[in-house]
Amino acid sequence: MEGLGIGIAILGVALGLGIIGFAAMNGMSRQPEAIGKMQTAMLIALAFVELVFLLTAFVVVPAVTANAKPAVEAKAE
Amino acid sequence: MEIMQGLNLLPLAAAEAGHEKAHHEGLSFIGLAFYVLLVVGILFSILFFAKKGLNKRVFTNKLTSATEQMYLFLENMCVGIIGSHGKKYLPFIATFWLVIFVSNVVSLFFPSAPTADLGFNLGLALISVGYVQYEGMKSNGVLGHWKHFAGPKLPIVLIPITLMIFIIEIISEVMKNVSLSLRIFGNIEGGHQAAEAMNKLGQSVYIPFGAFLLPIKLLTCVVQAMLFTLLTCVYLSLVTSHDHGDEGHGEDHGDHAHGEPAAAH
Repeated sequence: MEGLGIGIAILGVALGLGIIGFAAMNGMSRQPEAIGKMQTAMLIALAFVELVFLLTAFVVVPAVTANAKPAVEAKAE
Repeated sequence: MEIMQGLNLLPLAAAEAGHEKAHHEGLSFIGLAFYVLLVVGILFSILFFAKKGLNKRVFTNKLTSATEQMYLFLENMCVGIIGSHGKKYLPFIATFWLVIFVSNVVSLFFPSAPTADLGFNLGLALISVGYVQYEGMKSNGVLGHWKHFAGPKLPIVLIPITLMIFIIEIISEVMKNVSLSLRIFGNIEGGHQAAEAMNKLGQSVYIPFGAFLLPIKLLTCVVQAMLFTLLTCVYLSLVTSHDHGDEGHGEDHGDHAHGEPAAAH
């Protein structure tokens, strides 16, 4: 089940990163002299979107697996 | 193959304690101390040799000029984001940048690194966020800094909403620690695990596929070091901006400052 969760997280994060990259490139091509400022803002936005996946992979999934394991063992017994 | 795997990817502590336990707990104390000392040693030796070229008018030493470029880049970032008083925070920001960048680079060549350990990152994040609180209290006053969390001034009837905003802001302030530390940890440790998985992929044909990830991991190193310092700069700019509430105004201000000398010419 946590595989499904990771899949959903990847889907969302990929969409988010794609939209950020799309918008940043659009802006850069429209206004090449503002590339420096845009890159900074883009990196900050990327960081916040990326964090969602890191939270899923390193916090939520281990927590869910740790909680799920005793239940499975109990069922097996 | 075994050499490759041992070199690249097993955490030091994993060899001593059981595999799964060590995997979750990260480095042992001695392991972390070894890596921190390694990073500090690399940093000090680089800066020692860079400092040797300082006594000339023009820096002919390549290392010195490279270090100067790095300094200029960091100064540009500080002044660009925090504002005209940003130069004051340059030593703080530069220390973070150097430590994080060097230990990220160490993670490319060694089994583990300080930044691949969640505890070390949490320490860095606590220092960063704590310093931001201190600076906020210094520039706005202790009460003003706490008032800043309560949001805009609302009518007396809406006190529950102010209370809610205050609690949420405090939570988000605490979560800054988690986000700052988890971001570096996730990227570096995730890179290790990805390389390990790709090494397993090529095990039967004796090709270390994980090695091909190194260029991408180098990019990650730079970006992660930059993100940590950038976010620290943004947090600092949010608490220390005196006349303007948010970041956008600060950038406008910078534009005017750039515009005036151009008009003078």
